Amino acid sequence: MAISKEAYRVLEAIVGEEYISSDPVVCEGYRAGPGGYECGLGYERVMTKLPACVIMPLTTEEVQKIVRVCNRYKIPYAPFSTGWYGARTHCHVDDELLIDLKRMNYCEIDERHLYAVVESGVIYSQLQEEAMKRGCYIIVGGGGSQCSAIANMLGDGWSPLSYRIGLPHRRILGTELILPDGELVRLGSLALQDDPFWGEGLGPDLRGLLRGFTGHRGFLGIVTRMAIKLLPFQPERLEPSGISPHTSLQLPPNRVKWINFTMPSKESMKQAMFEMARAEIGAGCTKVPIFWRAIAKASCKEEFWDIWSKESEETISSFHLLRVLLVGFGSEEQMEYEERVLNDIITEIGGQARRTRPSDESWFKNADSAGMWLMCGSYVSVDYVIETLEHAIPHGENYAKLKPKYTPPLMPDYGDPGWFQSFELGHQGYSEFLVYWDPDVNTDGVDFFYLETSKENIRKRFYTSLLGSHQPLYLTGPAYGPNYHKWLLAVKDEFDPNFICHPPVPLNHDTFVERAPWMRPMKDWKSPKLP
Amino acid sequence: MLKGKVSLDVNSLDNFEYDMSKCIKCKGCYWVDHIYMPGMDFSTRCPSATRYLFDSYGAYGKMRIGIAMLEGRMEYTDELLKTLYACPLCGACDVGCKRNLDLEIELSLEALRIKAVKDGKGPMPAHKRVAKKIIEKHNRFGSPHPNRNKWLTKDIKVAAKADVLYFVGCSAAYVNPEIARATAKILNAAGTPFMLMPDEWCCGNMLYSVGMIDEARELAKRNIEAVRKTGAKTLLLSCAEGYRMWKVDYPKMLNISTDDLGFKVVHLTELVDELIKQEALKLTRPVELRLTYHDSCSLSRLSEPWNPWKGERGEWGMVSPRLDRRRGSGGVYQQPRDILNAIPGVELVEMKRMKENAFCCGAGRGTQEAFPDFAAWAAEQRLFEAKAVGAEAVVATCPWCKDNFAKVARQNGGELKIYDISELILASIEA
Repeated sequence: MAISKEAYRVLEAIVGEEYISSDPVVCEGYRAGPGGYECGLGYERVMTKLPACVIMPLTTEEVQKIVRVCNRYKIPYAPFSTGWYGARTHCHVDDELLIDLKRMNYCEIDERHLYAVVESGVIYSQLQEEAMKRGCYIIVGGGGSQCSAIANMLGDGWSPLSYRIGLPHRRILGTELILPDGELVRLGSLALQDDPFWGEGLGPDLRGLLRGFTGHRGFLGIVTRMAIKLLPFQPERLEPSGISPHTSLQLPPNRVKWINFTMPSKESMKQAMFEMARAEIGAGCTKVPIFWRAIAKASCKEEFWDIWSKESEETISSFHLLRVLLVGFGSEEQMEYEERVLNDIITEIGGQARRTRPSDESWFKNADSAGMWLMCGSYVSVDYVIETLEHAIPHGENYAKLKPKYTPPLMPDYGDPGWFQSFELGHQGYSEFLVYWDPDVNTDGVDFFYLETSKENIRKRFYTSLLGSHQPLYLTGPAYGPNYHKWLLAVKDEFDPNFICHPPVPLNHDTFVERAPWMRPMKDWKSPKLP
Repeated sequence: MLKGKVSLDVNSLDNFEYDMSKCIKCKGCYWVDHIYMPGMDFSTRCPSATRYLFDSYGAYGKMRIGIAMLEGRMEYTDELLKTLYACPLCGACDVGCKRNLDLEIELSLEALRIKAVKDGKGPMPAHKRVAKKIIEKHNRFGSPHPNRNKWLTKDIKVAAKADVLYFVGCSAAYVNPEIARATAKILNAAGTPFMLMPDEWCCGNMLYSVGMIDEARELAKRNIEAVRKTGAKTLLLSCAEGYRMWKVDYPKMLNISTDDLGFKVVHLTELVDELIKQEALKLTRPVELRLTYHDSCSLSRLSEPWNPWKGERGEWGMVSPRLDRRRGSGGVYQQPRDILNAIPGVELVEMKRMKENAFCCGAGRGTQEAFPDFAAWAAEQRLFEAKAVGAEAVVATCPWCKDNFAKVARQNGGELKIYDISELILASIEA
């Protein structure tokens, strides 16, 4: 045990002996890989470490005490809720304390003011069900039903249902944040009184400490409690049915309906999204990538490949499926009206409605992200754009052109340009580029592709969400700031003078490139000697 | 084996290297299926990880620990043995994982225990004591073998020769005679002749479950041969653990299909459901109870028939020939519910976690013997869930579940009644 016995005893006194362990078996259970999000790649192999010790606090006060002890004994620590986000949420340095927040599972819903107060151990599907019992809903982000609601709200937090509302930062209300040095900060109206209703508080909006487009995975402290805005839903129950693996929610036909439309072109899909937004109809929409459809159809991995191997560049480029969700939030008449308007729009553009099952397997409660691993046993979202549709769509096409150079080990996808949708009723465009590879062959090419995408963004001036948090800071910072890397590090220094909160983030990808010998030939930017 | 020749043989942990290495830590094995997620309460389905909390106790931790064992990076310690054995192998993780992926989690966990035994480190001392009783006395309680048929009463008609052979099992034979008697009387009432084994021995469920596969296999061979000699067409069980053992684990250990056994393995609930639907059995006497049904793991998600498989794993992890994976969807879920609904006066209310999402009672697969506190805790959780839906009684289809529940219910003041389904069926047909 590298954490001193004295420090261990102090930590143990905070939580009790049942909730702390440095046993190698327990610590092995917290290994990032070899499977999982971004796992099996160089980053996971080079950058992740086993924790020296795992501790499970129950309250904000206990977290605060733990963090203070870490500062006193200079113990690096990583906050951890479910571990679902993969390599980047696990320990990165030797002798690190992993703070597992799963015991913090308080959840309270204020029905009158439409918000939920949750702690870090509460997952989306729990929260969604509690919300739906009360006639509300939340957006279950792409991470899926089993990720911590707080972690996902801090990191990403969107899905096709974000069509109406966009980025989750607007739904983060009063929040408790333990800064890296152990100080408790209450954000929003919690700063004034015991009322988390407002996200904004006095003075500057401190939610910028939590996230921008995306979050930095716990490098500026630990959020222990957050009030999350709930959205009003329609009154009828979505009825669960089926036996696993064929489970789904049966939708009340007069209130909730998914409709798939075959569209004549990509341009027409974009136009439909704009027109829907202009008419202010719809509860969700997305382009459906063809491999999602293949996953949904396949009963096993082998059947997926049977289906997939019949595709070609031609079928991929001519596949334009638009999936739209209608919800009669206020009344059945609202949905009837929206459906008529939608059909008019689609007809005018040349699309055609397809028969669509009156059920939901994916988006209300899950996001079905675990299914992404069916194909190859590996998966990462290499980048996402949140800008305009004009900007977002070409971004995916650009990555698709870059990809063949690294295929294999990347999965052959016949030039699929990722998926896109609109957020905030057309005011934002979103695209996401997902990659898959065979994790049991040499995966260096995936590491190259990942880094090459940031260089491609710099060359083509694409502004994407992961440029700051998932790429070398000294590569992207000067290119985009021109000095945001300096500001980010200055903020980190100010709040975490001992550099112990999830180190070496935000210099983690810089460190990876330095440490992985195969990555060095790609390093054509300047950086100081890393700590 | 990540690529190349692979099979479902649990004797070699190598066969599950791919499965263990591809766990993505989504924790679908731990949480109730999102579609059926009941909210903040009763939201998990893995007893082990719910009780012990550290990730090492969930399948996501155990798969990583398994890889470390395979690579020789993990020493056997008390904590490792506790991690491997403080788990009822209830299969909740397996169905949770297989909702999305094609990973063999349950088989990996079984193979880990078999490896522990082969390495001379497993099973736990309490398991060894029970194993000794099974080997020496042919029952898990160490009771005198001649007492096995003491449950029989004079009013029960047993045929010398019949198509149906009732395999009573240790529990019903020695400590739960009410289940054996009820089963026999139901068969008598339905006019279904049945015979008993000339010399019934333990099914060996405990031996296999704790990784003592060599001893379990010998017992399997002996028992299968004994049934074949009787000429029975149907082997009937009233014990869910025994049902899984005969239907799944015997063929698994012998590398044959369930269909190759030479007889059909049937649980009492399957037979009674069929008899009711054929109108050969009528449930007429009211049983005024608001009750809830507990899905015993070995009758539900763990009971799909076994087919041996070997082949090659290649690109993208695909296997050839095609493997029809057991995902738990073909378990016995509906028949017990249909039976209970057919009993006049019964009001069946479902618990929040049901069918493939049910929370195990915690008794089976060696847990009760080595970790009695954990087994009692799991049962308490489940009984709390039953009370939360206002049930007066809990009905199970396995004596292991019944006993574990009954013990905890007694300790808690006996508010909840605990029944085996055979007792309620009998109550509804007896004049």
